[in-house]
Amino acid sequence: MELSDADAVRRVLQGDVAAYETLVTRYRDRYARYAVHMLGSREDAEEAVQDAFVRAYRSLARCDDPERFGAWLFRILVNRCRTAGARRTRRWRTIVQDEAAMLDAAEAADDERSAWREEIDRALARLERDQREAFLLKHVEDLSYEEMSEMTGAGVSALKMRVKRACERLRVILREAERV
Amino acid sequence: MFEREDETIEVVARELRRPVRLGDGVTAEVMRRVSSEARGAGREPGAATLVRRVARWAVRPRTVRVSPLHAAAALAAAVLLAVALRGTPRAPVQVAARPNVQAIPAAAAARSSQLVQFVLVAPAARQVSLVGDFNDWQVGSAPLRAVPAAGVWTIEVPLAPGRHRYAFVVDGGQWLPDPAAPRAAGDDFGTPSSVVTVVGQGA
Repeated sequence: MELSDADAVRRVLQGDVAAYETLVTRYRDRYARYAVHMLGSREDAEEAVQDAFVRAYRSLARCDDPERFGAWLFRILVNRCRTAGARRTRRWRTIVQDEAAMLDAAEAADDERSAWREEIDRALARLERDQREAFLLKHVEDLSYEEMSEMTGAGVSALKMRVKRACERLRVILREAERV
Repeated sequence: MFEREDETIEVVARELRRPVRLGDGVTAEVMRRVSSEARGAGREPGAATLVRRVARWAVRPRTVRVSPLHAAAALAAAVLLAVALRGTPRAPVQVAARPNVQAIPAAAAARSSQLVQFVLVAPAARQVSLVGDFNDWQVGSAPLRAVPAAGVWTIEVPLAPGRHRYAFVVDGGQWLPDPAAPRAAGDDFGTPSSVVTVVGQGA
């Protein structure tokens, strides 16, 4: 029977380090998506995800609600992406066009979809960092504004404004791309 | 939600929701790092890190000045915290504090570091440890010494100049910001912590 999050956390805290692999396997790809879109680089995303898991492990005793380990881990990852993003802003725009566009290359069944995906990645890269973060949390990760507020420390109205502006900007950028 | 009704945004979101798969190498690397920490340091890697840091730093006697704190404010904060804790069922520890960083002779300070003394008054505590960004928040890696009969717990830690975030962990599970120090804004884990600013010599 598969270990629940709470059971896995309990076993790790009791010294069974191997039980942590259950949690890593369970959440690795689920949250990788956010890191890849936020950082625009698979390499940076892998690093952020690894760091988040290691930090979570070190601080596991501070996870007040082991049943919700995933949400707790995601908060750590969002913060790791903020730190990494702040360090790598300059690299972002050049990398994203090459790497992020290639992420799904294997899955891209047709050139049209691939090109569209490339435009989306490019548009995402042109958003302000806080707008990109808010957009991804709201529309891709499907968090409520209250959850986003708790996670980012920003107020609900500020987050709504960021999402609104991100949407407006994406529409403009993608409309421009269609015309080219 | 007008954004949801927007077709462009909906299509973008749908595209971005496609799963992303990281390699198994990520799992292997995470497990290698956590296993190494658990094995190599008995879940106290911070202690090893501190020892290495101290060993690296050259010894040079000096007097340390660390962001001065007002004793009155500290006492007020301590009283408030003690009152707050009294009402918390899982916190039987009565905690008070005095300025936790002060001018001290740093007999073992290194060229670029300062020895900082952290002090917590917690008479009911059975053990207290210091966690912070300087020891990767490892509980137990920097245990405070109890001053007999005084209910005072103390530790001296070499810190590089700059801002450091930290907290006390009482009896292995209760995380406390320092009542005598400024609170840190934002935290990776959503747990309150404090800030100490170490001023370099001559600053």
